[in-house]
Amino acid sequence: MKPAGRAVTQLAVRQTRRGGLLVLGLAAAMPALVAATYTSVMADPAAARSIAGLAANPAIRTLFGEPVALDQAGGFTVWRVGTVVTVLLAAWAILATTRITRGEEDAGRWDVLLAGRVPLRAVVARHLAVVMSVPVAAGAAVTTVLVLAGTDPAGAAVHGAGIGAVGLFFVAVAGLAAQVFPARAGATGAAVAVLGTGLLARMIGDGLTELGWLRWLSPFGLLALSEPYARNRVLPLLTLLTVTVLLIAAVLAAAGHRDVQGGLIAVASGRRPRLRLLSTVETFALRRLLRPLTGWALGVGAYYLLIGFTTVSVTGFLAGNPALADEAARAGFTGLGAVEGFIATLFALLALPVGAFTAVRMSAYVAAETNRHLTLLSAQPVSRLRLLTAELAATTGGALALVTVAGTAVWAGITATGGDLGLPTALAGPGTRFRS
Amino acid sequence: MNDRALHTVDLTKRYGRFTAVDSLSLEVPAGEVFGFLGPNGAGKSTTIRMLLGLARPSAGRARVFGSDASDVARTHRLLAYVPADVALWPTLTGAEILHLQARTGPGIDPAYRDELVERFALDTSRPARTYSTGNRQKVALVAAFATRAPLLVLDEPTSGLDPLMEREFRTAVGQARDRGQTVFLSSHQLSEVEAVCDRVGILRAGRLIEIAAMRKLRGLRRAEVTVSYTGAPPAGLDTLPGVGPVEQLGADRLRFSLTGTPAPALRALAAADVTALVIREPTLEEIFLDYYGSAEATR
Repeated sequence: MKPAGRAVTQLAVRQTRRGGLLVLGLAAAMPALVAATYTSVMADPAAARSIAGLAANPAIRTLFGEPVALDQAGGFTVWRVGTVVTVLLAAWAILATTRITRGEEDAGRWDVLLAGRVPLRAVVARHLAVVMSVPVAAGAAVTTVLVLAGTDPAGAAVHGAGIGAVGLFFVAVAGLAAQVFPARAGATGAAVAVLGTGLLARMIGDGLTELGWLRWLSPFGLLALSEPYARNRVLPLLTLLTVTVLLIAAVLAAAGHRDVQGGLIAVASGRRPRLRLLSTVETFALRRLLRPLTGWALGVGAYYLLIGFTTVSVTGFLAGNPALADEAARAGFTGLGAVEGFIATLFALLALPVGAFTAVRMSAYVAAETNRHLTLLSAQPVSRLRLLTAELAATTGGALALVTVAGTAVWAGITATGGDLGLPTALAGPGTRFRS
Repeated sequence: MNDRALHTVDLTKRYGRFTAVDSLSLEVPAGEVFGFLGPNGAGKSTTIRMLLGLARPSAGRARVFGSDASDVARTHRLLAYVPADVALWPTLTGAEILHLQARTGPGIDPAYRDELVERFALDTSRPARTYSTGNRQKVALVAAFATRAPLLVLDEPTSGLDPLMEREFRTAVGQARDRGQTVFLSSHQLSEVEAVCDRVGILRAGRLIEIAAMRKLRGLRRAEVTVSYTGAPPAGLDTLPGVGPVEQLGADRLRFSLTGTPAPALRALAAADVTALVIREPTLEEIFLDYYGSAEATR
């Protein structure tokens, strides 16, 4: 039995080692860089005061997390890159888990694997264990790097443990989604939705004191509540680990109660044909785009709605503190005191999700060609250029839709909180960013 | 319309130093059912991909009804294709895929399509994710046979079908021939090629080694003659042209192989008191093994 199980583990290792090492490297390098440059940044007392002032604003807290212990290299590092590292690790954990479990099963490759001696539950457990080794290693790496940088070992340990725990939590979430949903896209989508909701809950809990309890419901919130380098609380992390253990138990139970190539949710065995948008290759490209676009639009829309809600507060604050605004201008953020200037700065971030959206859509097209889904269409009287153009047009349209959603969401948020921003201006802002 | 459905001249495909298809010259007249035979890796699918303009030839050219194969917007109006390993969009149902293929393709006969769905016993309400290999193949076959395209290119279309469905397939090929459609059928199923094809090309290691009408192909090869007689055995058979070694099967029975015209052998047999005569034509399988086996020997 042992060699068979080990072979399964090795299979999982081969499928995750490259991405896992990359994520591990980034998780160690980012805090190392920030911790190392802390002294030079904070050498100027004015700069230190400005950062403290900026970090105290509710709107900034919403976006960057609640700052604790900014007066230490460790606390500053946690505030500056903690969220980025955690989200990166969580996103990788989700994609890797659903890819090597549900993805492999969906492609039919597990049929051969499971004809061997290792049962489904053990195969799932071994795959999850392999993915989980990466968050554990990443957490350990963060702690080691921060200790080596000379920060408080207790804070470093709490922060490293927190990052590792969030990673483990998302492996478990993705693992459970892979048991529930019969297709990889559904499983990944569900797990990413949990990630997005968790981030939003933490943002709202950070920004609005009366909703602070929301942070107890989010893995990112629990990470913030552990307050590394300040109170070093262990209870939030224990809570997160307990939930993770329960989730893993659920994964293993679910794996024992389902068919291979099936999920807990059964695929409908038949349905009436939905023939809308199936008439030309152009409309078919649009049809394939609509569902993923809805997911992306929900995420981008929610984030920019939140920004819209906080804009009036943050710009008012900056306008009342000219010294701070000067400091920001020197750092390259001009016009932060005005609604337009602040929004323009945050629309720069929009290039990230929109760029990721186009990259993901085009790689899905390449995948459709390599796994031969496109073969039958290629045999139709349709040139390959037209197939590609249809896909490019649909993706471009999707990107424009995302930009429009972001602009509209910001406008709605600002208008709801009594700010003054015309819809055309709100739409022109991200549009300009997108063009550049 | 051009009376040559397919025409290739020195068609060649090289992948680095490996030559998948080597100077293939082939003509398939319109209205013919052409069988394309060859062992695994002989280059059948590569040839078909070049005929469809899905792969670019390294040398030579391929024409479909007179148009260059690379002009897919034109040539694909005249053909329908069933790939060797059918992959379908997993979230679309069979009906949705048939609709998509019909609307983007060269035009179909909806009534005939419904009849084919019925005959192939295809449940089109299920999403393609749940289809078995045979069912995926049925979707592609129904989509192809339902078109009015004058040329059907079928790449090992029955490898996943059960015998009943195979019979339906042969009927559908026959109906396509009756409508005047040309069928280019690549296959491993020798009995199927034997049953439906007018002419056969045999491909080996990228080269076309034989191309002939089914009837002529059999004539080129040895037939097996078994003779029962009473009294003295027929004399002088060994020396006749086209007659192979004579094998005695008992006291009053003998067997020999025969190539070419049987007339001299029949004259020799007429002198004896023959009680029964069986001439068995070689099956395509034997012909195929003859070619394939000699390739193994010379390799």
